[in-house]
Amino acid sequence: MHPNLSDILGAGQKPSFHSSPMGSMLGNLPSFDPHNFSQLRPSDPSNPSKMVPSTYRPTHSRTLPPPDQVRATEAKNILIGNIYQRAEEKLRSKRAATEHLIPEHGCKQTRPSTS
Amino acid sequence: MFKTNNVASRIFERQIRTPAPGTSVHSARRFYENLVPSFTIYDVECPDHSFFKFTDDGQYFVCFSRNRQDLIVYRPTWLSFSCKGEDCDNNQELPPQAKRFESFFTQLYVKPLASCNELICKDFFLYMESNQYGIFATSTAQIQDARGTDGAILGVPSFEKITIHIFRLEDGFKLDEKVFHNDCVNLTHNMGAFLYDDLLAVVSLRYQTIHILQIRDSGNLVDVRAIGAYCREDDELFLNSSSQLAGNRGDLVDNGTNHDQPNSNNSFLSGIKQRLLSFIFREIWSEETDQTQRVQCLKKKFYFHFQDYVDLVILKVQFLDRHHLLIKFGSVDVGASRNTDQLPAFFAVYNMETTEIVAFYQNAADELYLLFERFCDHFHATSINSMYMNFISSHSNNIHALEQLKSMKNKATSVSQFVKKMLSSLPLNCQSMSPSPYFDQSLFRFDEKLISATDRPRQSTDHPIRFISRRQPNILKFKIKTGPEFGGADGRSKKYSHFLFHPAWPLALSFIQPSLFLPPSAVNIHFRR
Repeated sequence: MHPNLSDILGAGQKPSFHSSPMGSMLGNLPSFDPHNFSQLRPSDPSNPSKMVPSTYRPTHSRTLPPPDQVRATEAKNILIGNIYQRAEEKLRSKRAATEHLIPEHGCKQTRPSTS
Repeated sequence: MFKTNNVASRIFERQIRTPAPGTSVHSARRFYENLVPSFTIYDVECPDHSFFKFTDDGQYFVCFSRNRQDLIVYRPTWLSFSCKGEDCDNNQELPPQAKRFESFFTQLYVKPLASCNELICKDFFLYMESNQYGIFATSTAQIQDARGTDGAILGVPSFEKITIHIFRLEDGFKLDEKVFHNDCVNLTHNMGAFLYDDLLAVVSLRYQTIHILQIRDSGNLVDVRAIGAYCREDDELFLNSSSQLAGNRGDLVDNGTNHDQPNSNNSFLSGIKQRLLSFIFREIWSEETDQTQRVQCLKKKFYFHFQDYVDLVILKVQFLDRHHLLIKFGSVDVGASRNTDQLPAFFAVYNMETTEIVAFYQNAADELYLLFERFCDHFHATSINSMYMNFISSHSNNIHALEQLKSMKNKATSVSQFVKKMLSSLPLNCQSMSPSPYFDQSLFRFDEKLISATDRPRQSTDHPIRFISRRQPNILKFKIKTGPEFGGADGRSKKYSHFLFHPAWPLALSFIQPSLFLPPSAVNIHFRR
C-alpha cells in the first residue's frame, strides 16, 4: 500500500509542484515550498556567494515565528551580550527602587536564556 | 574521525570522507599526532642574538641583537641537505652542514631599531597578521628624580622617551612611530598595550590615559581617542569653556589662575573617573527602595570609600571587542609591589562609543569569574582574521582544560582566593599564547608546570618533557629533552629552560639558561626528521 505523499508530510502540508523561483541551472525542479529560497541575503558581506535565508521558514506549525521577523547575526559577541544582559537584569529587578529611569542601551531583543 | 592511527591510511580516509560540520580544522589537526618533533639537534651553534618569538603565522622569527639596539628577522625554512653515498635514507646521523642554525633559518635583514641612548624592550612585540606589520618598543633609561608635571600622578616611574615603532616585517621598512615623552608604559610581556585587529591600545600609566591608535593599511599610526581625563573628543573644549566661565567670576579674587588642567584646579572630576564614580553611585542607589536605607547604604559603601575610589588608577587594559574595553583599576602601589594579590583591584567594562561604564566588578567577584570560566576565549579578543586563535586550548573550549581547572578549584583551600588568583590574570596579555597544535589539549597531554603555550622561562628538569596522546591514553607521542639526562658537569645547579614552538610546523627551539639574566648557554632544535 503506497502511502500518499500528503500523509507522509502531515496534514496541512501539500507538496508544491510550482516552479521554483530560483530558476536554477538544473531546470525547474519541484520544490517543497517555493518561498523557501526567495529571500536570501549574503551571510557575510565580504563573501557574497554564501547565501542564507533572511527569514526562518519552519517546517512544522507548532511554533511559528512572527511574520515580520528577520534573522541577523548579533553584533555583540556572546561575552559582551552576557555582560549587558546581566546589567539589564540587575536593573530590571531593582527598577522599582530607582527614581530615574536609566535609558536603555539600544533596542531590546528577545533572547533565549543562556543560563 | 579517523579510524586508524597510520598517517597513510588517514590520508586515504581524508580523500573519501568529509568531517562533521564545523570540525574541519580539528580533524586536520589530528595529523599533528603523526608528525611530531621527535628528533633533537643538541647545542646548535647559533649567532649570539636574543631570540625572541615566532610570529603567529610562522612567517618570521624575530630576534634582537645582544646590545638591544638592532632588530634581526629570520625566515623559518626547513632543512635540506644532500648526501653522498649508497645508504643515505637509513643514515642516523645528519651531515654536519644540516645541523646548523642557518639550515633552519634564513636571515632576512638587520635593522637598527633603538638610537644611541635607547634600548629595545626585549619582552615587547605585537604582530598584525593581516599586513605582516610588527610593533616594537624602545625606551630610554628611567629618570631617577622624576618631577611631577601637570597631569602626571605620583608614585609612577618616568622615562624620558618611550617609542612604539611599526615595521613592515617583509623587508624591515619602518612605517611609523609614536613617541611618549616623560611617561611610563608597562612594556614587559605586552602588558601595557593590546592589539585588536587594527586598533592598538596603549596605557600611559603616568598620565592615566588610554591611547587608542589605529594602524592604517599604509602603516601609519593614527590617534583615534585618548581616554582618561576626557572621554569624548570634544570634552576638553567643553570643560575649558566652562572653567573659563568659573574663572571669570573668580577673576577678581585670584589673578586668573591657569585652568589648562581641569583635574588639578576644578572642583569636579572628569573623564573616566567621573563615569566610574557615577556608575558606582547609581548601582548602590538602586539597591535599596527605602529612602533612609538608601542614604545609609550610600554612606557606608560609597562615601566612606570615596577617596579610595578617587585614588584608583588605570593599571591595565584589553579590548573585548571594537567598542568595549576591560580596564583594571587598582592602587598606585601595585606597580611597585610584587604581591598583587593582597591589594584591592577592580575591573570595569567601558563602552568607548557611548562612553559609559557597563559593568564594575571587584577582583574577587564571582560573577566575573563565571564569565571568565565560560567565555575565556572571548577574553582572548581576536579579530575574525586570525582563525587559529580560536583553537588555542582554554578551559572554555576544551574539556580537558576545563577538568584541570575544576580540579584546581576543588583543591583550593579558599574559593575566594582561587577566584582572585584566576582573575589576577585579567586583563589578558595580548598574543601571549603560542598557537602551536602541540599545545592543543585535545591532542596531547603534557605537564603544564614544565611547558605550556605561554612561553616563559621555567626551571628545567633533567627528565625529558613527555607529550602523551589524549586519544590513545598512555601512548607517548614524543619527548622534548633539553640536554643530557644526568644534568651535566655542574651537578645540582638550577637551570632555566625556555621553549619556542613554530605555530604550524613540527619545529621547536629550546634554550637553556643558567640564570634568568644571562644569555642561554645552549640552544637545541627539535624537529621532525
